[in-house]
Amino acid sequence: MNGMRKLGWTALLAALLLAAPAARADNLPGSRPPDPYRSRTEGIQIQCPGATDPKAVCVSIACGDGFVKMADGSDQYIFGFQDVAGIDPTVMWSYGRLGAEFPAPTLYAKEGQHLYLTLTNLGMIMRPDLFDPHTVHFHGFPNAASIFDGEPMASFGVTQNNSVTYFYDLQEPGTFMYHCHQEASEHMQMGMLGQLYILPAQDDLPDGTLLGTFTHHTGYKYVYDDGDGSTKYDVEVPLQMSSFDPHFHAADLGIQPPPFATMVDVYPMLNGRGYPNTCDPGGIMNNRNAYRSDIPNKVAQKIPALISCTQGQKVLLRISSLSTTEFNTLTAPGLPMLVVGTGAHLLRGPDKPDGTAGKNLYYLTQTITLGGGESTDVIVDTTNVPRGTYFLYTSNLNELSNDHEDYGGMMTEFVVN
Amino acid sequence: MNRDRKRKRTTEAAALAVLLLGIAVGSHATILGLTGTSPNPTFAFIAKQGYISTPDGNTIYCWGYANAATGAFQLPGPTLIVNEGDTVTITLQNQISIPGPPAAPGPAVSMIFPGQQNVSASGGTAGVLTQEAPSDGTTTVTYTFVAAHPGTYTYFSGTRMELEVEMGLYGALIVRPAGFDPNVAANRRAYDDPSSQYDHEYLYLLSDLDPNLHPLVEQNKLNQYDNTTFFANNWLVTGRCFPDTMADPNVGYLPSQPYNTAPLTHPGEKVLLRFIGAGHDMHPLHHHGNNALMIAKDGRLLESVPGVSGPDLAVSDFTQTVAPGETIDAIWVWYGYHLGWDEYGHTLGGPGPFEPNEIYAQSTLASSIGVSDTAITVPAGTGHAFLPPPRTFRAIIWGSGYANPDLDPNREVVTATRSLTNPDTFTITRAQEGTAAEAWSVGSIIADTDHGLPLPVTMPSIQNLEFGQYASGSPFLGQSGPLPPLQGGFNPYNGYYFMFHSHNEKEIVNNNVFPGGMLTMMGVLPYGAPIP
Repeated sequence: MNGMRKLGWTALLAALLLAAPAARADNLPGSRPPDPYRSRTEGIQIQCPGATDPKAVCVSIACGDGFVKMADGSDQYIFGFQDVAGIDPTVMWSYGRLGAEFPAPTLYAKEGQHLYLTLTNLGMIMRPDLFDPHTVHFHGFPNAASIFDGEPMASFGVTQNNSVTYFYDLQEPGTFMYHCHQEASEHMQMGMLGQLYILPAQDDLPDGTLLGTFTHHTGYKYVYDDGDGSTKYDVEVPLQMSSFDPHFHAADLGIQPPPFATMVDVYPMLNGRGYPNTCDPGGIMNNRNAYRSDIPNKVAQKIPALISCTQGQKVLLRISSLSTTEFNTLTAPGLPMLVVGTGAHLLRGPDKPDGTAGKNLYYLTQTITLGGGESTDVIVDTTNVPRGTYFLYTSNLNELSNDHEDYGGMMTEFVVN
Repeated sequence: MNRDRKRKRTTEAAALAVLLLGIAVGSHATILGLTGTSPNPTFAFIAKQGYISTPDGNTIYCWGYANAATGAFQLPGPTLIVNEGDTVTITLQNQISIPGPPAAPGPAVSMIFPGQQNVSASGGTAGVLTQEAPSDGTTTVTYTFVAAHPGTYTYFSGTRMELEVEMGLYGALIVRPAGFDPNVAANRRAYDDPSSQYDHEYLYLLSDLDPNLHPLVEQNKLNQYDNTTFFANNWLVTGRCFPDTMADPNVGYLPSQPYNTAPLTHPGEKVLLRFIGAGHDMHPLHHHGNNALMIAKDGRLLESVPGVSGPDLAVSDFTQTVAPGETIDAIWVWYGYHLGWDEYGHTLGGPGPFEPNEIYAQSTLASSIGVSDTAITVPAGTGHAFLPPPRTFRAIIWGSGYANPDLDPNREVVTATRSLTNPDTFTITRAQEGTAAEAWSVGSIIADTDHGLPLPVTMPSIQNLEFGQYASGSPFLGQSGPLPPLQGGFNPYNGYYFMFHSHNEKEIVNNNVFPGGMLTMMGVLPYGAPIP
């Protein structure tokens, strides 16, 4: 009996060893020869109800490892998410391996929709010894159920080569975030961070609807269901603060225990980039081919932080922080910053008992201070702002660097045309 | 005479009596501490030294305020719970003696009370901020103040704070509003204003410590104690690091860390979270599950007209920024509102029970409708509780003679949208989910509810998942499901657990060990599950 089992394992191991070189031969979907291990797809089930749920919006993302490039040119090994919409489970691994992106793809949905979010765990190419599960934590989701909260201590993590579909009935608009909550101190430092925006139902009111004394017109966009048009904006800009500790990332790549106790971040970033890469309107190509010669490089940082508008427009800055180490303050001299929301909520006092709206608590400021897991909505009205280029940067001035390289870090440009 | 409700050690019979009393009054969790005797509570403190243990296996030399009645070193100092208007007297002696070698007397210590005015101090020696007690073990300093305002406050040493607060000389002070009564729901309040009413209260006294600095003090190497190199590696909630935060209070293996932070509640109940920053750093304390409403800061309600307007400046957020020395009161409620599926796993018409938090908005029909009508009206002023247009929502209509829709065999599911112009008029799409259109008379009930909606997705096989210790194995509140061996087990009532933790995630470790630190798990238990 024991001998039989041993023989079975040996045969399986032999099959894996034989198949492994073939599996690495290419990185193209569909052209990979069958691999008895990696083509195991029965655990991947992308659930999207289609016409049976007219409110459904479906998202398919995968998670694993990858590489990104810092503004000083250094490569950082990361864990992260990537969009795998439309990718068939049978080719998902070959499509997505070492394809993690930073930040994660930004997810958009509308208040009232049903979000079916499928997460597939593709495993770690550079760390085959790691068998970490992963999760999606919809950070700030109101009245969450533990089962879809993505906090694995109270629910579960998804193991490798498997998927789960999270379900969210989107009741509240706002600037949310999402991140992996599995071994959060490690996986978040490693880059499993993204932005998640829920657009308000007020956007879809019929043309001419009166909101108090304000008249809504088709195409108007608001941050929240404000009932008075006060959060209308023209241009939306995602700005997520985060930061990396390269020693931590190197330890993970080098098969060392994660050095939590010495974690100090020296790459402060906006949307996963340090200045001047923040102002690069395109994507940033990584250098993963240097680590795995069979996998070509990929654009793994896809979200610029350059802000551009026409004078007179109202610019919505959706600012969030998923730093794992510290608070940061953002400032933008010359730009009036009106705070209209915080914690994915309209910045308004509680409703009165008769249902009438509470007190508006909007305020004008020059600084926004956020720690990890905090978000705020800022509207910059450029009506009286002279045309030109302004800087939005952290006033924690030591964070204006890309590791040892000065004049970088958490800074971007705000161009008023 | 002081009464330490936390550390009370009497006979088992007395403990059982307290437990039964707790259940008899409706099990409303309260913060443990010293209450004294109103209106002139008197507390005797002795500054002592001792050791705390952290879950990374470390034992850390600390200083703390001990209750003289028991004489036991503890971290944090005893939580003082007094009433608005009380004249509070605290006596302080100092027995700190640095072990060395060479041994040396400890420094003078003192107490300051931010947020309290006209604190008088007598005895001891004059320090920069207040009177100080030298470490002779006998000199007594007496602090007296009138607790004029209800709220959450802190106290800490006013002497060499950069050293002594790091070493542990801090604690919490809670002032109950006048008329406070924990057994009367309307009078169980944080402030005088009725909107500060709550069902359960929990203390989050947040601190951080550098385990490399403490041995320097212990070994009498104060000349090497350099505060500029402070680098925290342990993060505490009310004196403990996770997972010790979730252990019972007064457990024997944590002899000097009596206070736990293991919050529990039921759906719809109001949880008062009292946050205090007692360390060096700001902490973004993120509560999963729902936003909380910050109603007060530093012991004052956030109101535009003090004493009149109520907390009209309160802010909803999913993370509270707790700065050193700051206090925040926030109310957190989990309703299970609009999950899009029945959180109890019930089917429409099934045996139930139909739970109170399943109704999100409810009214009655103001006029009767026939089987083909597509509009209804509800009594004036009741429609605004339903979702505003252009949102559509699922609703159930049932007869007024039935306590809930499961009991009415003719119940009808509809899809409803409120009118743009009149919130008390809805257009409805009839006969949804296999129900039949019925004629409904005036007074029939209409409710926005997810009752009976199935889970919209299929959960993977448990072999494809890895479960945490608070997992029940079921998506449904109060139900369990199969779990792999050695997974789950910390959730006997099959509640929904939510992590309340520092979101600067490096702070949820114990030195180099994940998870730990500034982390607790809030349990939302099904109705009927006991809350100690």
